[in-house]
Amino acid sequence: MNDELLKLGSHTFGSRLILGTGKFSDTETMIRAVEASGTELVTVALRRFNRDKPNDDLCAPLAKLSAVRLMPNTSGAINAKEAVRAAQLGRELSGSPFVKVEIHPNPHHLMPDPVETYFAAKELAADGFLVLPYIPADPVLAKKLEDVGCAAVMPLGAAIGSGGGLSTLEMIKLIIRDSNIPVIVDAGLRAPSEAACAMEMGCAAVLVNSAIAAAQDPVAMAEAFALGVQTGFEARQAGLMLQSEFAVATSPLTSFLS
Amino acid sequence: MYLTVNGEPHEHRGDGTVSALLAELGTEPAHTALTVNGNLVFSKDWEIFKFSDGDTVEVLTFVGGG
Amino acid sequence: MKTTLPEWIDPAPWLAREYRVVDVEHAIGTESPDESTLAALLSPAAAEFLEPMAARAQAITRRHFGQTIQLYIPLYLSSYCSNGCAYCGFASDRHTDRHTLPFDAVEKELDSIKTMGFEEILLLTGERSSRADIDYLRTCVRLAADRFHTVAIEVFPMEQDEYHMLAEAGCVSVTMYQETYDPEPYDRMHRWGPKKDFFNRLDAPARALAGGLRFAGLGALLGLADPYHDMIALYRHTRHLQKTYWQAGVSLSFPRIRHEAGGFTAPHPVDEKMLAQIIFAFRICLPDVPLTLSTREGAPFRDGIAGIGINKMSIASRTTVGGYSGNAPEEGQFDINDGRSLETFQAMLHGKNLEPVFKNWEKLYRLTA
Repeated sequence: MNDELLKLGSHTFGSRLILGTGKFSDTETMIRAVEASGTELVTVALRRFNRDKPNDDLCAPLAKLSAVRLMPNTSGAINAKEAVRAAQLGRELSGSPFVKVEIHPNPHHLMPDPVETYFAAKELAADGFLVLPYIPADPVLAKKLEDVGCAAVMPLGAAIGSGGGLSTLEMIKLIIRDSNIPVIVDAGLRAPSEAACAMEMGCAAVLVNSAIAAAQDPVAMAEAFALGVQTGFEARQAGLMLQSEFAVATSPLTSFLS
Repeated sequence: MYLTVNGEPHEHRGDGTVSALLAELGTEPAHTALTVNGNLVFSKDWEIFKFSDGDTVEVLTFVGGG
Repeated sequence: MKTTLPEWIDPAPWLAREYRVVDVEHAIGTESPDESTLAALLSPAAAEFLEPMAARAQAITRRHFGQTIQLYIPLYLSSYCSNGCAYCGFASDRHTDRHTLPFDAVEKELDSIKTMGFEEILLLTGERSSRADIDYLRTCVRLAADRFHTVAIEVFPMEQDEYHMLAEAGCVSVTMYQETYDPEPYDRMHRWGPKKDFFNRLDAPARALAGGLRFAGLGALLGLADPYHDMIALYRHTRHLQKTYWQAGVSLSFPRIRHEAGGFTAPHPVDEKMLAQIIFAFRICLPDVPLTLSTREGAPFRDGIAGIGINKMSIASRTTVGGYSGNAPEEGQFDINDGRSLETFQAMLHGKNLEPVFKNWEKLYRLTA
């Protein structure tokens, strides 16, 4: 186990925490949280330029963080066609090969559309993108996305912004078991302990946004998540002890072995 | 000429180049992506591109997102 | 000859380690098994833990397969073979009468077996020959698919398009034992013939799955080489196929050399306790993979281990060509050590609260066959 670095395509990252940059009270807090987290990859969203709020533009402040690479998302897209368009615009703006494909047709629960996500990911991967699709925690979908060339899969722990934690734990374990690409839990996490738990299970990284942006002290929480991710990763490497002792049957099963 | 920029009517007084419009809007060209009538206009083509009267222009940039 | 194994299957890193009692205890209880788990459970330190390993293996088998044993039967189509496998009764230097069943005899055999009640049949041949080639095999598969729910083959390695042809003819499963995953003894045991090509054989299950077969049966012939080496490589082969051909099923068998025609002596004999340890270890490490045991093993061992790791068995087998319709007295590929009838065997299973299963419904959905 010398895989200290997270690998996405041919790119490597020292940090296994990916940060979302939305929902922060102001840009300065967001930047300080990004710095405190030690992350090397952040997600950003595309919006119309607003003449009245020129300071919303994140390009300039993020460009100052030389260690941080950008991963545009496709939020707002409600089908594969729109997501492909959004990804192309994002690549044009960022110069980054990474794209987080997220397609949520329902504006209330924001659950990802697995069918449209599959088609968008297939097209974008063929076009040279490093595609990280945000998906329901579905082991079959995860393998199909691996087959079409995604750089990672990002199953949800719970609904976006819900703070529901790892409610899809058993499914994520199954995804990890048979995946040849990194599995990154995206969405739902509330506490650094949950990030640690995801890493202990064998996730390659976690993506966190709301839990940091909506914390009372986002900068301190960003650091706490970094510690949680590192703790879980090291625990995984160290090998957890067993939950319980095995039982021994009262009547021997091996008496047939003379 | 009259354009629709990000959904609103906009009177462009410049020479119809991308740099003239972006200067008018006050955005930093390096932090901007453009679509015109639904088509992506790559930044490598900006020097030769000219807007036409009635074009629908989307000027996009990055904001925070998860 | 290339003698180094590719990284994805090489067991060396796990062979280099020593496993202690604490490693074994951990391995028996783990919920996330890997190569280290298997290596610990196969180690000498685990020999004292057969009972708790059996208990865990039984619990896992029940959880995934219920109280059932799937039954299948082999049908030897041809005993011609150009290979020189030192351990095999059909090797080309053995003086035995050779036969290939003509199609009318194949149908007769299939009908006899069908009457017994089987739904899954395994068709076997020796090396590819002018008597038993791909066209012969395709016809046999078609004849079998007309009668049986599941048609599997255990034949010579083929190319992907040939596997595809067999899939279209109604074959769903290929069994291809590597015999040993160690290239050096492999080369010595396979004295001549096309089977000398270790890597062609190693990649054959992948070609079969890429060609459209749904299941691959793997195994190593226990006794030929170091069982620790071969079993860890077998595990890695399984996991590799599961991760690459994720829609396919993998199953494992644990054939053990006992006595074959020609007086071959296994250089690395595996006794019953070690065989049981191997089966328990694989059940713990691959909870949902079917584990198969043939009639190479005797009745007491088979009865004891049914449902404790093993969930699929053959019975009433003949390893001679034409053995089911009452003729063919010559020597088979290997000696049968459990010669009970299907009825007797089913009664034994029922006595152990295990239900014999002849699966026969999935075929209804398939459009090819």
